[in-house]
Amino acid sequence: MIDTVAVEQALLLLSSDLTPWLIVIPGILIGLVFGAIPGLQISMAMAIFLPMTLYMDFMQAMLFLTAIFTGGSFGSGVPAILMNIPGTSSAIATAFDGYPMARRGEHNQALGIALGASAFGVLIGYLILFVLIKPISGLVLKLGPAELFAVILWGMTLIASLSGTHMLKGLIAGFVGLLIGTIGFSDTGILRGTLGNEYLLDGVPVIPAMMGMFAASELLRLVNTPYLVDNESARKVDIRLILKGFFQAFRHPIVLLRGSIIGVFVGAVPGVGSSVSNLLSYVETKRRDKNPQSFGEGNPKGVIASESANSTSEAGSMATLLALGIPGGGATAVMLAAFAMHNITGGPQFIREETDIVYAIIFANFGQVVLLMGLALLFLPMLASVVKVPMKYLIPSVLALAIFGSFGLTGNISGPITVLVFAIIGWIFRRYNYSVPAAVIGILLGSMAEDSLLHSYQISGGNIAYLLERPITLAILTLLILSLFGSKIKSFLSSRTQDLKPT
Amino acid sequence: MEFNKKILADLLVVIGLASFTSWYLLNAWFASSQPENLILILPIAVITLAMCSLEFIQQCRTGTTSAHEERETAETTGPIIGIFSIYVITLEWLGFDLATILFIATFLWLQGERRWFWIVGYSLCFGLLVTLFFSYMLPYPMPMSLFPTDY
Repeated sequence: MIDTVAVEQALLLLSSDLTPWLIVIPGILIGLVFGAIPGLQISMAMAIFLPMTLYMDFMQAMLFLTAIFTGGSFGSGVPAILMNIPGTSSAIATAFDGYPMARRGEHNQALGIALGASAFGVLIGYLILFVLIKPISGLVLKLGPAELFAVILWGMTLIASLSGTHMLKGLIAGFVGLLIGTIGFSDTGILRGTLGNEYLLDGVPVIPAMMGMFAASELLRLVNTPYLVDNESARKVDIRLILKGFFQAFRHPIVLLRGSIIGVFVGAVPGVGSSVSNLLSYVETKRRDKNPQSFGEGNPKGVIASESANSTSEAGSMATLLALGIPGGGATAVMLAAFAMHNITGGPQFIREETDIVYAIIFANFGQVVLLMGLALLFLPMLASVVKVPMKYLIPSVLALAIFGSFGLTGNISGPITVLVFAIIGWIFRRYNYSVPAAVIGILLGSMAEDSLLHSYQISGGNIAYLLERPITLAILTLLILSLFGSKIKSFLSSRTQDLKPT
Repeated sequence: MEFNKKILADLLVVIGLASFTSWYLLNAWFASSQPENLILILPIAVITLAMCSLEFIQQCRTGTTSAHEERETAETTGPIIGIFSIYVITLEWLGFDLATILFIATFLWLQGERRWFWIVGYSLCFGLLVTLFFSYMLPYPMPMSLFPTDY
């Protein structure tokens, strides 16, 4: 499974020359900045700096781009924690508990926990990739729309899980979100719900909608609040607390490991990847916790679950890129362009013939984790200072940033309009106790669920027996049922055993 | 059942969500009634409508509770939503630079800031710096008033 000669060559390649490492530091910084500023995407950073890689050799180019990827994966969690703005869809679940922690004055710990979980995620993700790159890529080839739908269905169970005390209202919000997610052209070319608006042909822009629902609506609610953190003594920025948070992440190894495993395997699924993996990891952690009610109120395990999964997804998406030449998302699509610029084609032949390069990319990411930790610890105190800014200055600044960022995402005025519309909807939802996270999950998963369900229907011709021929689908559905009802089945079986015991 | 303005707002939200669901279902149905088009929309819409009906009945039965009474008024949020809406709607006419400066300044004034130096200084610095940063980073032109643009 592991080619030891290629391992030696890869280590030699990385240690013989320090030049490739010099471009890793700016790469991580670029990623951190682009990830931390709402609206600037990791893929955008990679695309902007892609021409620079023309002057690098392939190895250097890959190190530079993966450094941006690693920095950006962590960076997108920072605004999710401090401002309730998930920089990307992969940081949604980070906001669920990270932001309540920040509001409680635990912003230092939350950022430290996110860093610890991210660093661990990247490390374990690439370690899994190192050992299992070929089996993972083989597995991805076996995935069809039925398997995708099963994974998305799993993510959809989060809607019920996030509904909180007002269960029925939460479900309504999530289901309305699912419907909103299907607005626009369907995969069969039928137009629904656009009211003749050309901006909606591709559907509701998800990330601007998310910015409006999460951040803008929350900021509108906080208009009369003087500071993000009420308690003045808790408003300090303390590197020791960030470090404490960093180590706190490792006190929950099961949560970290579960998030990492979900992240690497779901992250490898093209098109779904990190958007769903952080949700799955979050829902499983919440479901298995002794105190599930504390999730959404600032439970550190929620941040660990989300960050470990979304950072591990990077390794998963790299598996499909390197072994199959399939980009799983925007960032890996830019990497594929870098492959083309250096006349390299990803795929089984690349893995077979350039194993040392593949291993070198993987090992370089281990080094990147160390650099990420150092650079992030330098920058986090500066970013955490946002809690010291009075809300009357912070609210208009963040609202304006969200508007700029949404324009950056769509390239036209539809982004800002979407933020506005969903800010008002989100404000109404919060005011009348409809779950905003459930609605956002619905919007995110709506079109993915419809596409995969439709493709399964078309392939099977409407025959449900098709599912029985898909062992991976059945396995995922079984895991889903066990995850939902496992504890109930267990207690039912144990009560039956008790009843049958002779007294 | 005590029936007042506060519960009416709750009921209107449920009615609004049910109305959107019904409209969207009909819109999708008229676009195409083939199973390929309604495979997800129809079941989700039907379940949503059933849940909205249940919620409506529950709220009518429960009537006004302490939660309704304790709910904050929207008096302070209303003007903020208003200026935020004006900011977004006028972006294309005023440009990102001028609209952002005006939005920040108005917001600060509405929130009780009366030090003109801070209002003008902060709105100008923030608006101009952020506009410059994004116009430099984004690959497409942005509407502008003070800076040159290809929009």
